[in-house]
Amino acid sequence: MSAGAGPVAAEGRSVAAERLIGRLLIAVTYVAVGLLSVGVVLMIADGISPLSGGPGLDFATLGAQLRALEPAAFLWLGLLAVVAAPIGRVIVAAVAFARQGDWLMVAISLGILAVIAVGVGSALTVTV
Amino acid sequence: MLVGLLMIAAGAAAGAFGSLLGLGGGVLIVPLLTLGFGLPLREAVGVSLICVIMTSSASAGVYLERHIANLRLGMTLELFTATGALLGGSIAFLLSDQLLSFLFAALLLFVAASMARGRGAELEVEPEPDRHALVVPEPGAPQTALDRLSGDGYRVHSLGFGVIGATGAGITSALLGIGGGVVKVPLMHLAMGVPLRVATATSNMMIGITAAASAVIYIIHGGIDPYVAGPTAIGVFLGATAGSRLGDRVELRYLRLLFVVVLVITALQLLLRVVG
Repeated sequence: MSAGAGPVAAEGRSVAAERLIGRLLIAVTYVAVGLLSVGVVLMIADGISPLSGGPGLDFATLGAQLRALEPAAFLWLGLLAVVAAPIGRVIVAAVAFARQGDWLMVAISLGILAVIAVGVGSALTVTV
Repeated sequence: MLVGLLMIAAGAAAGAFGSLLGLGGGVLIVPLLTLGFGLPLREAVGVSLICVIMTSSASAGVYLERHIANLRLGMTLELFTATGALLGGSIAFLLSDQLLSFLFAALLLFVAASMARGRGAELEVEPEPDRHALVVPEPGAPQTALDRLSGDGYRVHSLGFGVIGATGAGITSALLGIGGGVVKVPLMHLAMGVPLRVATATSNMMIGITAAASAVIYIIHGGIDPYVAGPTAIGVFLGATAGSRLGDRVELRYLRLLFVVVLVITALQLLLRVVG
């Protein structure tokens, strides 16, 4: 490997990508905490006990429930944001690795996403 | 309302303890929800996974920003922890609550024994580098896959062992709702030659994707209750944030002793439930 600008620039891009991913994770976490907080406040305001058994996730009615200020809708949106944060991090990392031309890491990133997709697919198959 | 506030407080206590002692909150959240609030173990595990992702994202964000976590190594091992989590998440719904309780009690006793031997406190001290740690490739030499996974001043080795351990950590994480740091940190540090600070930061980052892989399965199976997960996750976030700021002011020796006692009592209570 030559000691030219190439590796230095690649290292700089790598650090910048890590910084971007770090900020993304922090931002999504704060958004999730905000949504969960709204849900908990609405839950308390409605006098709902946490042990009363919450409703399952229903994407079809989520929008309507949000407009109706249903606590469960905000809680589910917050929980989805929590789960999406690390998955989103893998997607952003895959793009960053592709821009660096690191195809092995791109393949690994896509492998992680494929494993998660298989999990979702198999769980849906079993449930349906 | 009182139960909701108690859940926030319980989550905050678990988050603060976990943050101060370098453990994920899962080890405490699951027994708190089962023994304290009467939740079925599988439901508690689902909530715990959400809390684990929450703390992972918050701390990994900071570690990545500061360039402490090893993104390449973490993602390579993540491929295998996610595969393990997929297997564990599927098995979890086939096992009885009693067997899961027994496995969790065994895990608590293992963590308690490790902490009693002082491993928890030593995690904060950087040990002497091992014979592999400072072998850095020559500037002109072609880079191998291991070179590319290595970081500043250390070289990763025993990737095969790491892959097997990471898969096992993923299965454990999904079965018991823990982050798996208790497996991943020693694996990277002791078996793969990664400096402890980097191993801890990288494990924190990896925990998120492992837990997310199984949390998705729990959500689809209806294994996560939003009314329980919401307050508990907020509590964990607040506790972990406070814990990270209190870290320097707390006498960790006594805290660790208290923690060991709590873990042993909790494990015994879980075992009594299994027998009962």
